[in-house]
Parts: sequence; C-alpha cells; structure tokens
Amino acid sequence: MVGLKNATFSKPDSALVIVGHGSTVNPDSSAPTFSHADEISRRGVFGEVHSVFWKEEPSLRQVMHLVERDEIYVVPNFISEGYFTRTVIPRELELSGAETQRAGRTIRYCEPVGSHPRMTELLLKRALEIAPGVPPHETTLFIVGHGTDLNDNSAVAAKREVQAIAERGIFGEVLNAYMEEEPLISRWDELASQPNVIVVPFFIADGLHSYQDIPVLLGIESEPTAAASQRDVFRHNPHQLRGRTLFYASSIGTEPLFADVILDQVAEFDRANGTR
Amino acid sequence: MSRDISQALARWLDDDFRQIGEIAIEPQGENFELRHYRDVGRDDLKTHTDARALATCDDAGNFRPLKSAPTLRRGWSLVLAGIGELHSALDVFYPAMLGTLLSHERGELFSILLRETLARQSGMYAVTKKITDEQADAMIGDLCKSDGGCLKTILWRIAPDRAVTSLPPEKFDPTATQPPGAARTIPLLCSEACNLLVAKAREVVKRAQA
Repeated sequence: MVGLKNATFSKPDSALVIVGHGSTVNPDSSAPTFSHADEISRRGVFGEVHSVFWKEEPSLRQVMHLVERDEIYVVPNFISEGYFTRTVIPRELELSGAETQRAGRTIRYCEPVGSHPRMTELLLKRALEIAPGVPPHETTLFIVGHGTDLNDNSAVAAKREVQAIAERGIFGEVLNAYMEEEPLISRWDELASQPNVIVVPFFIADGLHSYQDIPVLLGIESEPTAAASQRDVFRHNPHQLRGRTLFYASSIGTEPLFADVILDQVAEFDRANGTR
Repeated sequence: MSRDISQALARWLDDDFRQIGEIAIEPQGENFELRHYRDVGRDDLKTHTDARALATCDDAGNFRPLKSAPTLRRGWSLVLAGIGELHSALDVFYPAMLGTLLSHERGELFSILLRETLARQSGMYAVTKKITDEQADAMIGDLCKSDGGCLKTILWRIAPDRAVTSLPPEKFDPTATQPPGAARTIPLLCSEACNLLVAKAREVVKRAQA
C-alpha cells in the first residue's frame, strides 16, 4: 500500500460538482464518477455533492438549477487538460476564468483529477496490486492512453506518468502505449523486454475503450465483449499469452482513492487562489 | 443557502402534487413511498433501497441515458425517510428536475432557442448548425414525443420566429400532466435541447449530406 496523505477540510456551505464525460450507450462510463461522489458525500465534507455529465443527466447546463448552495467547486473527472476541460466545460457552465461570479453565486473551477501529482502513486499502487508476488524488476509496465484525440493532452499526461514511475526504479521497464497511435498497445509483446507484463489503462472508467477495445488489442479477447456492466464474470489475471505472463488492470479512474484526489484538487484551488 | 429545494418539494407535496414523471409519491407519516404510477394499488411489489439501481436500466436491461424517457422499471417500491432523502432520490430518477422547477417558479429559468444551443457546439457537433428548421422540427417530433420519447415539457423554440409544430400543444404547457392522464404531476421542464437531441441533429445532418 502506497501511503497517501488525505486533504482534511470541511465546507458545509459549499457544493461540490464532479464533471464526468458519461455515455449514451452504457452506465460504465459514469459509474466511477457516481462512486467517488457517493464516497465524498458519505464523508460529509461538503454541504452537497453532485455528479454532472456531458453525455448523461444531469447535464452541465443544469448545474445552476441542481445546486442549492451559492459557493460551487467544480472538479473535472478527466484524465488530462484538453478539449473537454478547456473548451466544453467552461462553455457549458459559462465560466469566465478560475473563479466566476454569476447571479450571486461563485463557481470555482478546479484542475482535472488526472493532472494531480498523486496520479503517479495511484498508477504504481494499481500496478503492484494487480500482480502480487511477481518480481517488479522482471516486469514491463505499460501505461495505456487513447492517443490521437484532437486537442487532447492525454498522451502528454501518460508520458509524464511513465517518466515519473520509471524514475522510481521499481519496474524493470515502464513504457507508454496507445490505442490509435504508435507505439501501439497491440504490439505489446514486441515492445516489452520482460517476461511479465502489466497493463494499466490511463482512463477514467471501464468503458468502451478499456473494457472492450484494449482486451482485443492485447489478444485477451478475440472480439469485443459486452460492456462491463452486462457481464457476470470478470476477467481473471494472469493471461498466458504470446510467451508472456500478462496482467490487465481496471482503468485507473475506478481506484477508490480518486475521491481523495478530487478533494485534493479543491484544496489545491484554494491554496493557489487564496480562497477557503 | 439561497435555494432550498427540499423545502420547495415539501410545499409542492402540501399542494397535493403526488407524481413526478412516472413515479407516484405517497406520504406515509414522515416517510415517503415511491413506485411506478401504473403500479399504484399493487401489493406484490419488491422493496428496493437503491434509487440509482432502479433508474439506470429499463425492464429489458437497456441503459437509460435519458432519465425522463417513459421507460422506468415496474414492480418495485422504495421507502425514503424524510424530505431530504426524497429530494435525493428524485434527483436520481429525474436529475435536476426539482431544482429546475424551483428556478422556473422564481423567474430564474430561461429557455434557450435550439438555434442558440446548436450555435455554441464545437468539435464533432459543430456540423449540427446546418440542420434546417424543417429537419429539426421532424427530429423533435420523433425524439421528444411523450409517447415513447421523453416526458419533459418543452419550453424552448427552434428559432425566434419558428416554434415546434410536430408535437401537440400540451407538450409545451407546464400545467399539463406528462404522462397524460396522471395525477397532479410535478412537471419536468426542458429549458434547452439536451445533448441527446444535439447528437441526433448531427446524425440528421450527416445523413442528409451523404
């Protein structure tokens, strides 16, 4: 277990709004966002906690009606700064900067979860948990991103994490790979030099990409399976494949400690902007 | 806190509103029991405790991205302790709808023309600006109709000089019950086209271009 320090504060007069992408196809995309919101709600840190989405309800456009309190912290549950965090969310919420005053209310726009320095610890934690007893120095760890998204810095964020994890010197090898650009995750066996391979998807949810697409690219499945929410049986690690021992993790965004990262981004907003 | 939605909900219940969307609300002392309005009178319902589990999929197991679609599961009842729990549960079944009605009462709900909603789209949805008024009207008549589409009351127009003509007048009247014939119903107000409609507009434009 990697030690993590939790933010401790109480904001009974503020609302927390967590923004997720959501999906019109299955409930798996929004599930982790709801789960983190439930956890933060249980802790009683904020007067109210809501999840809103781009593709599901409640929508970003409904925030001002949904929320009761006048002070609103907005945290994007996104892996990286990019099109959604810089264009879509500010536009839909009609934000004018880090802090927006509108109709007697204050909206504070925090950094996305994926930008948090703790992400390195969480990826490391997940990688070590998924393959207990496997010597890390004989293991190649892949951090898989989407790649090719316009205006999306997810590839940059994934590279940053790979470098930070590699510097710890725990794993024999730490590599980036992507679904749609080189180095392609489908070539994982050519790219990896170690006998054990751990793949951690740098995604927010076990949605279409990480649950259905990447397993096909890895060779675990021959064709896309039903969505995670529609399957009774979860996959079992390890997979003996292409002469290696392969471990495939859930998306990093399903990690329960994301709730702490969301709270950290609120604390970081207050620290950076002198608010409280 | 300048907006007390739970307090407004208590007031609506005092005014004998007993339904929202497809859900019948029955006060039981301090508690409230929810069930599908077509299950009123049944005594064989299964007791549930998780509103989200009930709201997520329909009876056939299909995901419900639009919570105001008339596809709510049947055969369950849910008991909630107090007005705060009722408020939270109704926000799961009909997200943001109580707060939207409160905003409407307070004169703080502004309807947005479909043309404005489409004009601000970017990326893959920028193309939706090209939909014609006629295409939009037909699309709305299909996607938003209360019978099989969406139970919300539409408050917006396509353009300043172009109303939606493909749906009956009660679809635009917050005092009309949705679904039709129901008990006194807390209206589900739609002040702006949702992203499902925007996504459909993209399909319509792409198909016309093909």
